Amino acid sequence: MFELVLQAVFSGVLVGSVYALVALGLAVTFGAMRIINLAHGELVLLAAYMAYVVEGRFGLNPWAAIPLALVVVVSLSWVVFKAIDRIREHRELNSLILTFAVGIVLTNAILLIFASDVRSTSSPILQDAISFGDLFAMKGEIVAFCVSLVLMAVLWWWLKKSWYGRAVRAVSSNRSAAALMGIDPARIETASFLVAGALASFAGIALYTMSVVQPAVGHGFTVKAFIVTVLAGVGSIPGVFLGAILLGVTEALTVTLASSALQELAGMVLFLLVLFFLPNGLFGASARRG
Amino acid sequence: MSAKPASSGATTAFLAGAALLVAAAAPIVLGLGNYALGLLVSALVLSGLALSWALLGNLGGMVSFGHAAFFGVGAYASALASARLGVPVAVAVPLGGVIASASALTMLPTLRLSGPYFALAILAYAQIFRILATEATPITGGAAGLQRYPALPTVFGFDLSTRTGSYVLVLVVLTLFVGIYVAIRRSHVGTALRAIAESEVATRVVGVDSVRLKAWMLILSAFMAGVFGALNAHVIGFLEPDYAFGGTWSVMPIIAAVFGGYHTVLGPIFGAVVIYLFDQLVAKSLIPVGHEILLGLVLAAMVLVAPNGISGLVGGVFDRIKGGRRHAAT
Repeated sequence: MFELVLQAVFSGVLVGSVYALVALGLAVTFGAMRIINLAHGELVLLAAYMAYVVEGRFGLNPWAAIPLALVVVVSLSWVVFKAIDRIREHRELNSLILTFAVGIVLTNAILLIFASDVRSTSSPILQDAISFGDLFAMKGEIVAFCVSLVLMAVLWWWLKKSWYGRAVRAVSSNRSAAALMGIDPARIETASFLVAGALASFAGIALYTMSVVQPAVGHGFTVKAFIVTVLAGVGSIPGVFLGAILLGVTEALTVTLASSALQELAGMVLFLLVLFFLPNGLFGASARRG
Repeated sequence: MSAKPASSGATTAFLAGAALLVAAAAPIVLGLGNYALGLLVSALVLSGLALSWALLGNLGGMVSFGHAAFFGVGAYASALASARLGVPVAVAVPLGGVIASASALTMLPTLRLSGPYFALAILAYAQIFRILATEATPITGGAAGLQRYPALPTVFGFDLSTRTGSYVLVLVVLTLFVGIYVAIRRSHVGTALRAIAESEVATRVVGVDSVRLKAWMLILSAFMAGVFGALNAHVIGFLEPDYAFGGTWSVMPIIAAVFGGYHTVLGPIFGAVVIYLFDQLVAKSLIPVGHEILLGLVLAAMVLVAPNGISGLVGGVFDRIKGGRRHAAT
């Protein structure tokens, strides 16, 4: 029993690291624009299907789909930004509805192009088991975990040290003040959506290599990402990482100890508990109460 | 969104009443077949759901991505009460609404959250309710569904379980709810709620308990959605969790209300009828699997081109005519 629990925690950490990538994409755009992109999960899903195309049609390793996924998903993310940018009144609510609509369109477009079958990688290299003492993982999971860690480090450096990253943080903390300092908010918002698209590309391929995808799950990715940002509280990359790991572990433990039918329920309950009892998240200090 | 003077509200109410009378009589006079009447009943059920969604969005300033929660709770509560407890259907249906309201009570803490957080929290509720209905097999019948529960009764010799009977009943309930909505909108509470939608902080500063008002709107909206869920359950005579709590019941009212214009009372109703018939008759025949893509495109286009919906477009023309007249008079 103890070994099962330990194995569940281990698997949960590996999946959680990819949830963190999905959540960071959502968080970057939320930080810059105060807007939740409800189509973010579908962007992730689209990247996963790019990996499916590259593997299925050209027989390449799914990770070779990175250039294709980046081109497709980043440009689509830019289109979403351009659409949001056109909204003039009731921006917060209308952008929710708009991105929700984009999500519906993307999910059904994927359904029409790729059918509703469940897809996953068939690459033997990624599916091989690898053991750490008593713990087992697929090699694909380990690769995805490492990719996530590297990307998080890059994102941390970008936000902390680069001019653009600092500008993003400036715009998120005070838009007008940032504008007065000569930062063009529109440029920063564009940058945040491009970065979110890039993160979604990597996250989608990672999810394709370590689990299964089908058209209906895109929405679920958005919800998971949102749960993570709520757990983390707004603002810190380590917070998002820990929140994502917590979600991944909770889900894995639910599947091991109870039933896989309750997996989603576990995340939702965790989400509501944190909302009610720790409204600023586990690690955040900034307010979200209206 | 602009506050309309009371006189225009009265005209709207009168027009609404007239339109609904015509709507009630038309299909019967035209002698529509069972299939067409069935479509209309479903369209009206969706209208009721869209109205309840718009009430929350318009008067509460809250976007809900989880109205399926209330719709499903109402449906299951009414079906189970009539089947297991022997409650008459005429009582079970409003009871479904009441229990949907009770389920909304568990969501009250989310009202303190601002826009996007509320929207996503309510989505979480819809998921939780669906999973609970699936897992609570002894009570709900689980994934296999629920079939043996009473149909709509016969009242004064008029059989409500026929298509014509269901149509008239759903239309009457819808009219009733429109009346309630209009009455609230024109009351002081309505004024306060509109102010909250404009600026919640400013409204609180002048002493309005915004959270409490929003709570009442959530409870009322849940009641309406629950009643329509219950009506629909007795009309179709079959329930399963994936149907009753299905994403459709969260998505369709949003599209319908935004299409018709959710700042008006009749916009969502009109939108629901148009969108439902479009989906059933056009979209499904063009794209059998994935027809929702067309609805998604319509929704996106509406937000970008006409965020106040069809009624906003039409109203814009009216305002211009009226504005011109007023200008000429002064």
